[in-house]
Amino acid sequence: MKRMKTLTCIVLALSLLLGLGLAGAQAESAGKIVVFQQKTEIYDQLVELAKTYQEETGVEVEVWPIAGDDYYQNLKTYMASESGPTVFTLNSASEIAEMSGYLADLSDLDVMGKVQENLIAMVDGKKTGVPMTAEGFGIIYNKDLVDPEAISTMDGLIAYIQEQKAAGLTGLGLSQEGYFLIGQILNFPFAVQDDPVAFCQQVFSGEVKLADVPEFQEFAKLFVAIRENQVNPLEVTYDGNCGDFATGKTAAIHQGNWCYTMFSTYDIDFEMGMVGLPVGGSTAIAVGIPSYWFVNADASEEEQQLGKDFLDWLYTSETGVDYLMNKFGFLPVVDGMTSEKLDPISASVADAIASGNIIDWTFNTEWPASVIMNDLVPVAEEFFTTEMTEADFLTALNDAFVTAAAE
Amino acid sequence: MSMKKRWFALFTVPLFFVFIVVVIIPFLSGVYYSFVSWDGLPKNPMKFVGFANYAKAFADTRFLNSLERTTVFTLITMVTVNVLALGFALVVTSKLRLRNVGRVMIFMPYLIGGLLLGYIWQFILGDCMATLGEMTGRTDLFFYWLSNKQFAFIGLIVVATWQMAGYMMVIYIAGLQSISDDVMEAANVDGASYWQALFRIRLPLLMPSITICLFLTLSNCFKIYDVNLALTGGGPANATEMVSMNIFNEIFAKSNYGYGQAKAIVFFIIVGVITMFQVRLTSRREVEV
Repeated sequence: MKRMKTLTCIVLALSLLLGLGLAGAQAESAGKIVVFQQKTEIYDQLVELAKTYQEETGVEVEVWPIAGDDYYQNLKTYMASESGPTVFTLNSASEIAEMSGYLADLSDLDVMGKVQENLIAMVDGKKTGVPMTAEGFGIIYNKDLVDPEAISTMDGLIAYIQEQKAAGLTGLGLSQEGYFLIGQILNFPFAVQDDPVAFCQQVFSGEVKLADVPEFQEFAKLFVAIRENQVNPLEVTYDGNCGDFATGKTAAIHQGNWCYTMFSTYDIDFEMGMVGLPVGGSTAIAVGIPSYWFVNADASEEEQQLGKDFLDWLYTSETGVDYLMNKFGFLPVVDGMTSEKLDPISASVADAIASGNIIDWTFNTEWPASVIMNDLVPVAEEFFTTEMTEADFLTALNDAFVTAAAE
Repeated sequence: MSMKKRWFALFTVPLFFVFIVVVIIPFLSGVYYSFVSWDGLPKNPMKFVGFANYAKAFADTRFLNSLERTTVFTLITMVTVNVLALGFALVVTSKLRLRNVGRVMIFMPYLIGGLLLGYIWQFILGDCMATLGEMTGRTDLFFYWLSNKQFAFIGLIVVATWQMAGYMMVIYIAGLQSISDDVMEAANVDGASYWQALFRIRLPLLMPSITICLFLTLSNCFKIYDVNLALTGGGPANATEMVSMNIFNEIFAKSNYGYGQAKAIVFFIIVGVITMFQVRLTSRREVEV
């Protein structure tokens, strides 16, 4: 009996160890890559693409789900625990600098030869990032309800917002998520400066005070008009904002061409267009590369190769390009890639690119790391929940930039 | 060592192993990281800075504010959770017809994860409240709670209470049922009223449960993160940012791994000292028949 007991114990102990061993072994199966990217609006389509890819090549593609704004935090956690995805995306110059140790050299990819040099993300002279798409944001307006001429000056825009209030509509919809609340719209007064790069540096170092700059004063006036005449943006979600526009409850929203994937799920019976935010006499749309694809240099050689093959396939094969153009609604960035049926918003962006009436995305290229979520959002939330004055608002934004740049 | 003791040791090995791997080792490495300046990515350089991170933490107003806010939150929630839980426990151990249904309904929120709960309540305290306000015209009470600093904080207390009260209730029920009928009967025979029996007999005999419940609510409230994240995300304007969220943001959003760790160690010491003090205090009041 005693022996029986001993035996049972040993068997139990062994099975425990065996269990651990098996769990470890299962994680490594051949021919599989993991893709993790930030664009929520293409997630479903990407999952579909993954299935197509597996049918064509036999390589399994697992697409990890995301929750919008927290993407970079999640990515970092995976990377730090050495269980990162094979293919991932990064947005800003500061993110790329921080992650530079993890970015594989992609110079030998076919697609790299077909993209303009200045659109590629470089690290130490090596081509590491494939530009995902080009995107533009500005004021998306309903052509039935808004006259673009009327909102081409800041005074006109503010007057229009007040008129809309009288009609019971939201003039210029913003939403509660960091980038859509303050991040992107605040790019305009920065990017319309004569030399945005130098201007940003002067602001971050404290040399220039935002409260003294006329473009920012205009911007603060607009924000006061929004606070006084519209439903509090903190109470509106991205989905609600885009949905209200699509159903005609909002005449104009501050958004980008990416939201057309959402509009297309509605029966829209009006025409729409896009203009830039009118600050400093400019109405240029802000156009930039929102994200770049990278391959994880920490992954095994084979996995990295599979990741590279996937990116090449995505940007050079017929099926891949079809997905990019028609299902993701991306603007072409690779030479020879054209899209016959651009949605109306993307068409506005493409026209703006062609005419050169565009400004940069300083929030991606110049702003300090995670300044939007950590420093600007609390200021904007404070502004929308209190009676903060224009001058105080600009001072608070100014301090936020200086603090973030010093860290 | 006797044979029995050896067996005893053998059977504690798996647990001991797990405890060392998932608690002791991460804790010690956490202490180590609190002395470095590092962004958390293994490939990036790490710099030893001594106690600089700790000095910085005590000068960080956003951190100190969140610490104060968390303390206020914990004190209020501790009272609301335990009063409600004890009340519910007394109700569902009485001869009430619906007692079993009541137990299930009150315990249910605990089974729903904090994140999900947070999102459900985000809808209730946000859009639902606003709609109610429009319908009833009472916009002073029914409005979008989550975009108001004070009300978002109250909302957090409401949700945390709703989540934890059920679990604490179960502990109180077990405590109440372990009080022997003889004692209660004797009290009845001696002519004690309901309230006399409650305060003089049941509550003193319930002290072990109270110790446990206070300990659990105290430490859970201090460490709250999931409900905080899902319900308010720390907003508006950081007005509901609790310590755990502050630490998480420091580490993962601002990439100050070492500094965040230092905050975490400070936080650990505070929670440890307070809970130890609380357990000593309440267990001294435990009595036996």
